[in-house]
Amino acid sequence: MNPAALHTGLIETLSLTLVITSVAAVEMRRLKFSIVAYSCQALLIVALLLSFAAVNKALYWWAATALVTKAILTPWFLFRSIRGLDDRELKPVIGFVPSAVIAALLMMVFFRLTHGPGAFLAPTEMGQLDVFRTNLAVASTVFALGLYAVLTRRDAVKAVIGLCLLENGVHLSLVSLAPGLSETALFGVATEVVVTVFLLLYVVGGVRREFGSTDTFRLRELRW
Amino acid sequence: MSRDIVTQVSIVPAIVFLLPMLMGTVMLLIPGAGRQLQRWLSVLTTAVVLGLGAGMVSQVLKGSVLTTWHGELRVDALSALMVILIGGIGLFASLYSVPYLAARITEDVTVCRMRIFHGLLMWFLGTMLWGCVTNNVVMLYVAIEATTLTSGLLVAFYWNRPALEAGYKYLILLTIAITFALFGCVLLYAGAAATNKLAGGDALLISEIRNVVPWIPHRAMAITIAFLLIGFGTKAGIAPFHPWLPDAHAEAPTPVSVLLSGVMIKMALYALARTVSIFYPTWPQVTLFLLVLGTFTMLLGILLALAQDDLKRLLAYSSVSQMGYVLAGIGVGTYLGCYGGLFQLLNHALYKSLLFMCVGAVIYATRMRRMGDLGGLRKQMPVTSACFLVGALAIAGFPPLNGFWSKLSIYLALAQAGMWWAAVIAILTSIFTIVVMLRAGYRVFWGEPHFNGTSTAAVREVPILMWLPMVVLASLCALLGIWPQGVYPLLDRAARVLATLGQ
Repeated sequence: MNPAALHTGLIETLSLTLVITSVAAVEMRRLKFSIVAYSCQALLIVALLLSFAAVNKALYWWAATALVTKAILTPWFLFRSIRGLDDRELKPVIGFVPSAVIAALLMMVFFRLTHGPGAFLAPTEMGQLDVFRTNLAVASTVFALGLYAVLTRRDAVKAVIGLCLLENGVHLSLVSLAPGLSETALFGVATEVVVTVFLLLYVVGGVRREFGSTDTFRLRELRW
Repeated sequence: MSRDIVTQVSIVPAIVFLLPMLMGTVMLLIPGAGRQLQRWLSVLTTAVVLGLGAGMVSQVLKGSVLTTWHGELRVDALSALMVILIGGIGLFASLYSVPYLAARITEDVTVCRMRIFHGLLMWFLGTMLWGCVTNNVVMLYVAIEATTLTSGLLVAFYWNRPALEAGYKYLILLTIAITFALFGCVLLYAGAAATNKLAGGDALLISEIRNVVPWIPHRAMAITIAFLLIGFGTKAGIAPFHPWLPDAHAEAPTPVSVLLSGVMIKMALYALARTVSIFYPTWPQVTLFLLVLGTFTMLLGILLALAQDDLKRLLAYSSVSQMGYVLAGIGVGTYLGCYGGLFQLLNHALYKSLLFMCVGAVIYATRMRRMGDLGGLRKQMPVTSACFLVGALAIAGFPPLNGFWSKLSIYLALAQAGMWWAAVIAILTSIFTIVVMLRAGYRVFWGEPHFNGTSTAAVREVPILMWLPMVVLASLCALLGIWPQGVYPLLDRAARVLATLGQ
């Protein structure tokens, strides 16, 4: 493996754009735009994987799977679930400005954590290289943003988008943490996310029919 | 692990999980062809799985470890214990589901989804078995997430408001949690690979990672354990990650509740024990943390169970509490603790399946599940009430039933490790368990009959296919109480796999 073969500048640009698309996916009030932002992010991940594939041939496989599962199937399922409906998101718990501040703070914390002397997220030698550290910081930020979206958004569809971000974060970290992962494992991991999204949206469809909305705050019949 | 262990290449570990998946696929592809045929095929498949599990147990007891596909699958005593447990409870649950679901078909709109029930059930069992035989740390994640996916639609099966709410919570919470576990698994792999001490071994295989743990940096270890604990702990119903559990267990059809509570949460705890126990020797502090979590879980679970009126929710909270015992036992890390924890895991699978089946029988007969609406069923349902009594006494830890021995082992292990406070909490929880269970049994089966609306005359004992599994499970509870040495050889070997902290 020769890390010098990587286009560091390109990777850094892609990584930063990735964070912007995550924030957009979380913050857009129209679900349609949110899904578009998510699709852009998926394409950026594919591009990132391809640029890392210069040093790790197994990533070509990973990029192909990501293209099919993240950039094609997942947005398709998401669009199908909101078709013909009012796609304005229910008012979230936390408004736009505090959200943006939180996103920026998360980003700074993770950069600090991965670039600091401790570097506890990257126990490998390779993980200490600059490109991989950036990758890990970005992956953790996307992961945290996804978690943030799931926790604070009322709309079930938005929660599903948050879940996708969460998964994308972990998958992105595989580039730095688990370069030797076999194709079957990668395939299993990628397939499962699509199936999860499909099943969740199927259940959300049922919730919408029975409860009349996808407001998760109204799902409180089962308590104690 | 001091005894000689012979590694033996065998195809059985692959067959044991591929067979149910294949049968499930067949059932999903030819839907509606014959509902009766599907039911009996699922019973047959689980019986075969149970037989294969028994075969594995006999192999393992001779001192061999079965591997397939270059160590990708690996069955030692611990895995064999899980396989036979899943096969056994799976068989009882599928027998039980034959009359239970037939009754729902005629009255509900579940007919169209009925076609997929048994197929999904087989997939659910298959993925659980896969998780128990795999040796690959990333595949462990894949298998556990697959159990969530295959059971998600089973939880929301009735498709009414509470079932949909439970299904949504179940899918979203468990998927998030398991994503944490994936992060943990990947960090474990990365940490092991970075030690450069594997000597040609694959850093993905748990049996290889075990050997290099001392060289993983402490900070990486801490975050790995935290992620694994959040991920697998949520799925195992460990407090404070348990809120999905009562909803899912209560709203799923009873045969599915039996599987969720009887084996699925155990299988997640198995994954937790399998991955976290390898850190005990290098980092003994983690055992204290697990112990605190275990005692907190057992106490919180039973206190919440005290407040329940709904029978299924009561049992679900009691499951949380019992998982606390298992975690406390395994968390001590000593041989006796692991032995007690695994014995408790086995016993809880038996009596909690039994109790869920009894409550299912009450629902089947009366269509009610609130304690306040029920009472005096002893005369109409003698078998169910006797079985419930056995289950309630077993879970409360009365001698000479099986729960007594496993709880006693855990108390002794806690005392031996000097954790007196934990032993006191465990005994206190046990007293609460007696109160909760006997009160529920008394009110439903012995108390004054007071039905709202329906007449008691219409209530009668459930069909044989429902009470037979209950009687068998009750007998097993009694048998293991009188003859606990029967399972000793298997539990002994399984406990040695986990007890990495001296004996």
